[in-house]
Amino acid sequence: MHFYLKEHLEEMRRRVLYEQYRAQKIPVWERIALTWGVLFPFWLIVSGSTAPGNLVIGAITTLIISSFMRDMLTKDIRPKGSVLQKGLYFLLIYAPQLAIIMMFRILESSVKVARNVIFMDINPGIVKIETDLNSDTGIAVLANSITLTPGTLTLDVKRKLGETYLYVHWIDVETLNREDAGEKIKGDIEEWLKKIFW
Amino acid sequence: MIEYLLLAFGEAIMVLGALGILRFPDVYTRLHAATKCDTGGAMSILIALALMTSAPVLIKLKFLVLAFLIALINPMVSHAIARGAYKYGIKPKVVVDMYAWDNP
Repeated sequence: MHFYLKEHLEEMRRRVLYEQYRAQKIPVWERIALTWGVLFPFWLIVSGSTAPGNLVIGAITTLIISSFMRDMLTKDIRPKGSVLQKGLYFLLIYAPQLAIIMMFRILESSVKVARNVIFMDINPGIVKIETDLNSDTGIAVLANSITLTPGTLTLDVKRKLGETYLYVHWIDVETLNREDAGEKIKGDIEEWLKKIFW
Repeated sequence: MIEYLLLAFGEAIMVLGALGILRFPDVYTRLHAATKCDTGGAMSILIALALMTSAPVLIKLKFLVLAFLIALINPMVSHAIARGAYKYGIKPKVVVDMYAWDNP
């Protein structure tokens, strides 16, 4: 009884902390700057020329768009550090690491599926795993990464009582325990995503 | 040299993925073959093309944008097809089905 009350109290404290962090957002100009920083290189690559007039038109247009679409991309980012710190961290450490690791994961997963096609040694099943991420953007990125990692395909996402569950179709079921399966399926992607998203 | 290697690798993966769509038993395992082999094969072919062309850097970056968009859209579409097939009532041939336990 005593332990049950203590656990319940800790759970309530965690929920209150989460709601407090959830209520605070990053400032408006940082949201506009982050959205502009995504949109302007895209304009530059798609238009494909570096004439000065083109650059000025692109900067003004993407600034107008990012000033009223500022909540779309940056709604779920953790408010920690200044925008320069966040941008440098994302650009220099996080993005190259994620890109290289995901590229090798994609190549490895295609090789594994090709081996499965040849030998037909499949043992499929649908398992349920739990995740610590709570925001929409974080769950979407995690589900897409799970689909691209070898042997797994996300089937559905369900949110119940503040916890988030993922149903994963696994082509070669190794374990049915929820923690072990989550450890094997998610790997270290979730740790990286928890640094940026909720 | 490495671009021809990547090109051959991508084409072999694409052919094996098409073979997997024919050989696997049900919808969900076929989606595995369609998603992963197409993503890996298309990405390695696009990287090989970006290395091959003698164009300015901004043109080469367009291939990387295409690879990024393929890696973003392909798993989303396969998730939508798998969920739609399950809601429609196609039973998977599996050893354990925890999704049916929770949605009777």
